This record gives sequence, structure tokens and C-alpha cells, in this order.
Amino acid sequence: MPLRSDDPMILLDDVRLTLTSAAGPVNVLRGVSLSVAAGEAVSLVGPSGSGKSTLMMVTGGLERPSAGRVAVAGVDLATLGEDGLARFRRDTIGIVFQAFHLVPTMTALENVAIPLELAGRRNAFDAARAGLAAVGLGERVLHYPGQLSGGEQQRVALARAFAAEPKLLLADEPTGNLDTATGRLVVDLLFDLSARHRTTLLLITHDRDLARRCNRIVHMADGRIVDDPEQTGTVAGAVAVRRALT
Amino acid sequence: MMTLAWRLARRELRGGLRGFRVFLACLALGVAVIAGVGSLSAAVNAGLVADARAMLGGDVELHLVHRAATPQQRAYLARSADVSEVVHLRAMARTPDGDERSLIELKAVDGTYPLYGKVELDPAQPLAAALAQRDGIWGAAVAPGLLTRLKLHVGDTIRVGDGSFVVRAVITHEPDAATSGFEFGPRVMVATPALAETGLLAPGALVGYGYRLRLMPGTNVSLWVAGVKSAFPDAGWRIREFGNAAPSLQRLIDRVTVFMTLVGLTALLVGGVGVGNAVRGYLGGKTETIATLKCLGASGRLIFAAYLTQILILALAGIGVGLFLGAITPFLATPLLSSFPVAVRLSLYPLPLLLAAVFGLLTTLTFALWPLAAAREVPAGSLFRDLVDPAPRRPRLAYILATVAAGLALAGLGVVTASDRLTAAWFIAGAAGALVAFHLVAAGIVHAARGAGRPRSPRLRLALANLYRPGAPTAGIVASLGLGLTVLVAIALVEGNIESTIDERLPEQAPSFFFIDIQPDQVDAFDKLVEGTPGVSQFARVASLRGRITKIGGVPVEQAVVAPEAQWTTQSERGLTYAATPPKGSRIVAGQWWPRDYRGPPLVSMDAEIARGMRLKLGDTITVNVLGREVTATIANLREIDWTTLGINFVLVFSPGMLEGAPQTHIATARTPPEAEAALERAVTDRFPTVSAIAVKDALAAVSQIVAAIATALRATAAITLAAGTLVLAGAVAAGHRRRVYEAVVLKVLGATRGDVTRAFLIEYGILGLTTAAIAACLGTLAAYLVLTRVMHQEWSFMPAAVVSTALIATALTLGIGYAGTWRALGAEAAPFLRNE
Repeated sequence: MPLRSDDPMILLDDVRLTLTSAAGPVNVLRGVSLSVAAGEAVSLVGPSGSGKSTLMMVTGGLERPSAGRVAVAGVDLATLGEDGLARFRRDTIGIVFQAFHLVPTMTALENVAIPLELAGRRNAFDAARAGLAAVGLGERVLHYPGQLSGGEQQRVALARAFAAEPKLLLADEPTGNLDTATGRLVVDLLFDLSARHRTTLLLITHDRDLARRCNRIVHMADGRIVDDPEQTGTVAGAVAVRRALT
Repeated sequence: MMTLAWRLARRELRGGLRGFRVFLACLALGVAVIAGVGSLSAAVNAGLVADARAMLGGDVELHLVHRAATPQQRAYLARSADVSEVVHLRAMARTPDGDERSLIELKAVDGTYPLYGKVELDPAQPLAAALAQRDGIWGAAVAPGLLTRLKLHVGDTIRVGDGSFVVRAVITHEPDAATSGFEFGPRVMVATPALAETGLLAPGALVGYGYRLRLMPGTNVSLWVAGVKSAFPDAGWRIREFGNAAPSLQRLIDRVTVFMTLVGLTALLVGGVGVGNAVRGYLGGKTETIATLKCLGASGRLIFAAYLTQILILALAGIGVGLFLGAITPFLATPLLSSFPVAVRLSLYPLPLLLAAVFGLLTTLTFALWPLAAAREVPAGSLFRDLVDPAPRRPRLAYILATVAAGLALAGLGVVTASDRLTAAWFIAGAAGALVAFHLVAAGIVHAARGAGRPRSPRLRLALANLYRPGAPTAGIVASLGLGLTVLVAIALVEGNIESTIDERLPEQAPSFFFIDIQPDQVDAFDKLVEGTPGVSQFARVASLRGRITKIGGVPVEQAVVAPEAQWTTQSERGLTYAATPPKGSRIVAGQWWPRDYRGPPLVSMDAEIARGMRLKLGDTITVNVLGREVTATIANLREIDWTTLGINFVLVFSPGMLEGAPQTHIATARTPPEAEAALERAVTDRFPTVSAIAVKDALAAVSQIVAAIATALRATAAITLAAGTLVLAGAVAAGHRRRVYEAVVLKVLGATRGDVTRAFLIEYGILGLTTAAIAACLGTLAAYLVLTRVMHQEWSFMPAAVVSTALIATALTLGIGYAGTWRALGAEAAPFLRNE
């Protein structure tokens, strides 16, 4: 289903997720509804364990909700199988993690090129080289992740996330493992690249200054959205989301 | 420091056996094989020692061929011992109507037989009663196989030569069966006086006379033997003492033990690679703990001692399991040995168990010292460093030397404890060489993968990167799988070559029958009969005598130096013949054949290889005792003989003259199409009841059976080596599992499908498996070639099917196990690996 110009980039409708643990079932998401428009930058804040990362996993198709619907760029993720989800991410979503998650056996260049290669792009390496140059690592392309500092690794991860020019970028505490100065550098890059590629941004952070750089701050607590300026997480918002989905 | 090391080791052991399962399994498996083979061999040898007198039939046996002892000799023997005379010959047994017939091993015994042990019969009765003459007809006790072949029952009559016997019982236990040597047919036991009625004791007939003695109590056996030798220096008898009752069986057991122990040692070596991997993997995960301990003031030596203690405790546990399995092996294997001629003595044999334990311990040290010594070099500061890869840590010189010493001790023990040290030394050198070769191959794969540049396909690139990334299990997988596979390829080839020699190549040229004991006065009629039978080809007949080599170049055979490959010719009576023209199937390589009408002093033509083994050359002499007479002949020429044709051939062929007058029989060979075999056998044995027909097919089947039994044992041991290799492989795959899952998850996040990830991993394991298989195929082929041509003196033919199938199995195994790991990785949930909360 192609994305219409007025479709939101992210639409979550009463999404629930219950995980089983040794101590019994844990309700991680308790009915989350959220709508994010294309080109919007939204930050997701809340205490640890409030369900922010899970919400991001569900949005990225890395975890399937127990109930509710998830649509990204107009595509209902429930209609895609595992490999379909992988291809969808490849073409549509970029993800940046707190722990970088680079492939340790690949050089910086290869790490950035891999999503492009998987997509069958002929100029994967040229594009990857340009991407690395854009994050200031034009001289470190042949280094392995183990040979790079934390800040450098996160910059490689940023270049990788933007390499395929995704419509949506999900960033989970991208500065969590970095010192303040390096974190600031990475964040500047993140916003700069998002703006340049007109990428929709969903950013999880504990850093209030960083959150304030987004268009909108959504607060989560205990598996629910407790504060959203657009009120998509409230009852009125949920009605609006339903209307958009049907 | 040791108590502190012990305490630290104990605390570390609380972590359980995680990461050590393959370590324990590898050690247990290798130790179990060595302990099992050693225990079983000890149990068999104990049986040999305990039953030595019963197996030989006496304290001493004197054996003559063609002729019985003279009255003087008998009187001499009777003065110092109880004597039992046993006569042995091959003959044909027939049903009275002549419809069924079989070659038999006929044994005539006197009233004192057996001096030691007991013959057991079914129905139970005294042996003398079973063999006695009743109502004018003699009795016989027979092996069960004869009744099956002749379709008879106890109480029926058989004809042997010109005599008739009633089968009164089936032999269920014959104490001296193991010393009878190679048997072509089932046993028939009769009383000595009955033998005269068969007409089989013609002069020159191939009859053996054994004199078993029970010496007076207190007699020194060796002194007595020396006495009888000096009393009758030219008697030409073969003398055996009870300590050496079954030398060929003993040799066979020794050889099989050596080979199986060495293959077991290979399993242990392969397991050693797994031990090294496990220790390296475990200590790799302990970097932080070690650095923390060092920050808190622990010395490098303490770290080394603590982890060495932990590894040794675990090793002892693995070795303990192996020893238990090894110790119970004889008990489990006994039912499989029911047809074995020696009664296995079941017991706990401490020596082989101790030996296996030491092997296990030395293997642990050889493979674990290096990673342990590297771990002691972990710097305390590594706790505070960034996530940059540390430089590889090299152990100090003292620890490298200790590793080398442990390896040398392992090899030395393997050589010193083997009965055939030269073979053991070669084998161990080969195994060590192969291990080094596979490490080089692994280094080559890593180098090539790194140098392959950036293939366009991301899957191929990922696969290549997995081969050379730091900490890749490439070396471990290649070495462990490669060594096991090399042994398997080598054994498959050796076995295949021997099998094809017996099954395929031989029967193409081999005669269908050997006819023995043809009397000189039957020769003309025999020739006419056989040549007149339709379908007969390749008919050949020669005179045959038996004789013992007594002097080599004038030196008594006991003092002469004879190479191992020629010793078989001096150990018992050999067949001899004389001829005016060179025999078929041999080629003169030195000297000249004598003129057709030569009538001068005795000349002899000798097998070139045996002459080399005896250091004899043209013009030297060789002395043979034929029927009590010493015949010394000058070597006139040397021949190369192709024994594998199974035609009639002799190591020694004399010039006519000297031997023509001696009592002799003739032997003959003939070939017929399979459908005409029965007719020929019937025609000959009907017309000449005293002539025996040996069907080559049956004889080969008997040989095949022995070879197959040994091959099965070797294959089983080789399979254990491969099992050890598989364990190591599985261990390596399991060790890398977390990394693999992580990689699969990250790739999936980036948009890789399961197919993409699967293909990358299949390429990685395909490269590993195929390269290893190819190198193992080459090394295994080389090993098989050396064993066949240098040790077994066999002809060599390369068998691509055996090699390729073995190699493919290994590749499939590698891919299978690698893929199983990948499949599990693909099924893993992504979220837990990515979640920060």
C-alpha cells in the first residue's frame, strides 16, 4: 500500500504487548496509540521500563504486538512476514541504537554499505564512502568497529542508518553510551542528516535538552502514553488514529 | 600460593560446567578408546597366558612334517615326560552316497590327548568313548560346521579317504584350537589307530605330527629344549614352549592393539584441539575477572596456578569418565568375541587404565598450557581501556617450553608403550605433522579470505569475513575435523585396497582349486582326468616337499640376521619343489636358470625379496632340512614372484636330481568356470579319495572374514576419531553461537532476509568443509599409500570413490552442524539483543 501524502508516517492503534517472564506475564505496552506525521521529529521520554524501547521495536517491526495495529509509511506491518519485514526495513526504516550494533567482522565502510548491498544498489560503496565522509569518518573507512572509539562507532551507525535514505529514522538513546561532547556532535549530525533527507524521526532519550530539539515530546510511563501535545495517545487522539486507518 | 590458587579454582568451579561440556566429552572419548583397547588387549593376553599350556597342548610341542618321530626320538621324549601324539592333515569328507563333500582339517589323537584342558562334546561323553571303535566302525567328533555342510546329524556316517566313521558327537570346545593355524575346513577328530584305515598316510603326504609333552614337575623347560636340540640336532622339528603357544595369534593381537591404540591416540589428539578451544573460550570470557583480580593484587603466577588447577580438576573428571568406559569395555565386548579362540579373562586391568589416564593428562597439558599462559598475561589496565581489540598475548618462553615438553612427553609415551615402536613413531610423527599441516591450511584459508578483497556479493563477503575475523574458529575446526577425516580416508583406502585384492583382482587370475596330496603313482591318471574335464584351464602340477630352512649362508638360522619381511620363511616348514624350467608367474632378475638336463651339485632358485631379507646373493648357500636330511644348495638365480596370482609358486625351487628321489606328493591347480567347479571336485575326489581339493573361493572367504573383522574394529575406532572431530566442531559452532545470533539479528535489522543470512553461513562452512576435506583426502591418501606399500607390501591403487565419498560425508557434516547452529540463530528473537531497558 503506497503512502499517500496525507498519511501519517507512524500510526499505532491500541498497541499492546505482554511478555512472559519467570515471574508471570508482564504488560510492557498497555494500549498505545500514536500518530507521527511525515517529516516530524518526535522525542519519546519517560523513566526506564516505561516501554519506550519496546514501542520503538514494535514500530520497526522487530517485535510483534500482542494486540493492536501498527502501520508505517502506510503499510500495515501485520501483513508482512519475517522476510517481508526485513525488506521493508531495508527500504524504509533506519535504526540507531544506544549500543551501536555494528557488525564486528566488517569494516566501517562495509557496515555502512551492507543495507545498500542488500537492496542491490550498484554504487553501494561509493554511497557508503560519501555517508562516512558526511559524518567525518572519511579517513577511517577501513577500520573495524573494535578499532574505533564509541563516538566514532555511533557515527558509523548514523551513516549506516541514513545510507539507504530511509523515510523513518528510529533512534534509541543514541548518545547514551557517549560523553557529553561526543554526544552533542552525534546529535548535531543526527538532526542535520534528518533535515537533509527529510526523514521522519522518532527519538528515545533521557536527555531533556535533546528532547526539546524535536517538534514534539511524547511522555511514556508504565506502558502508556501519558502526555502528548497532539493528544494522539489520548482518547480523542485514538479516535483520530482509527479514522486515519479505516 | 597453592592454597589460594586452590580456593580461587574452587570458586570458579561454582560456575558449573558451562562451556566445558565439549572439553569433558573430548577427553572422556579419547581416554575411553585408549583405556578400552588396552583393557581388552590385557584381558585377551591374560587369557592367552592362563590357557597357554592348554592352547599348546603341553609344556612343549615338537612338530614334524611328513614323518613321525623315530623310535629313538620317542624313547627320549618318553623318558622325561608324558607324551601325547597328535597327527594333523587335510582331507576330504564325503557322505556315504557321495552327494556332499567338504575339505576337512583331520586331527588324529591318542588316549592321552589332551594333556591340558578338556575337550567338550555334545552329547556330553568322554572323548575316548566318542572316538572308540564299536561294532567294527570307528567314531569321530566333528565341528558343527561339517554337519551343516554335509547335511548330516550325529549318528550318521562319513567317509574320509578310504575309511568310514560314525559321527558320535559335535565338538563344542577344543582347548588347542587357537594354535592350529589357518584352517580351510571344519575339524574332524578321530583316534590315531583309525587313521591307518583312511589310506591318507602315504609317503610324502602333507601330514603334521605333533608331540605334546607334560614334563616332569620341576623341569626347566628351556634347559630341556636345549637338551633335545643337542640330542637330535638334525631332527628338523619346530619346537614351541607354552609361553609362546600361539605366536601368530599373539602377533596379530599385538598389531591390532598397536593400531587401535594409535587411532585412539588420534581421537585424543583431535579431542585435544577441542580441549584447547574450550580453555581458550572459557578464559576469553574471564578477561574481566582476571583483570579485576590483578587490580586487587593477584600475581600472574597465581592466576596461572588457579586456572590450571581448575582445568586439571575438570580434566580429571573427564578422564575418570573415560576410564570407567574403558574399564567396562571388555565386559561389553565379550559377547562379540564368542568365536575368538582365546577365553578372555574379565577383570579390572590397572596398567592400561593408568596409561590411558596419563595420556589424557598429557593431552590436556599439551593443549591447555598455551591459553592458560596467555591468560596470565592479561593486563590489569584492560579494565579501564576502551573497546579496542587488545593485541594478541603471547605466553612467556618458560610456558612455551612447558607446552612443547608436554607434547613431546605425549608422543614419547605413545612410542615407548607400543610393541611396534617404529610404526608408532611414524604414526605419531604423521599425526603431529598432519596437525601442523592443518594449522597451516587454516592459516592459508584465513590469509586467502582476507586477501580475497571485497567480492560484490555481501553474502560472500560476510562469509569470508567470518573466516578471518579475530577469534574465528577456523583453525580449530580445520585441525580437528581434518585429522579425524585424514584417518578415516586412510583407513577407507587401506581397507578398500585389501578388499579389492581379495575380492576383485585375485579371483580374476586365481585358480578355482588347489589339489594336494596327489601320490606319484596317481600323477598320470590325475593329469588325464583333470585335463579331460570340460571347462578346465590353467592346469598346473608340480612335485611338492616340505622342508625347514636350517642354515642361511652357512650360519644356523637361529643366529642369522633375517629382516622382518622375510622371517615368515624361517618360522615353520615351507613348501619346496624342483624344476627343470623356470616356473610360471615369476621373472628371473639375477643369475641364470640351470640347463634342462642339469645333474650337478644342488642349485637353488630363490625369491629375490626373501634373499635380500636374508642378505644372500648369487653363489651363497642355503640349507634345508627335508625329511630329516640336510640339503645344502648354491643360489643360482633370483626370481621376482607375484604371489597375488595365487598360482603355485615357491620361495625355493631346487635343481632336479637331489630331491627327485625323496618321498613326495604333487600339488596341482586348475581353473574352471564357477558352474563346473562342483563337477571337477567330484570327479577328482571320487576317483582319488586321498586327494584333497581346496576351493580357493572358500579359502579367500576365510581370509576376507579375518580382514573384515579387523577392518571393522579399525573403522569403529576411526569413527570415534571423527566423532571427536564432530564434537570439537560442534563445540566451536556452539562457542560462536551468541556472536552468530547477534550478527543475524543486526543483519535482519538492516534488511537481510533469512535466505541472505543462511547463504552467507553456508558459504562460510562450505569453504571450511570443502578445503578441509580436500586436504584430508590428500593426506589420508598419502598415509594409505605409505601403509600399503611400505608396511604391508601390497600393491597400491587409488580409489577415488572411497576418498570422495568420505570427503563429501565430512563436508556434509560440517555444513549440517554449521547450518543447525545458523538455523537456531535465525530463529532467535531480535528484541532481547537490541533492548537497552
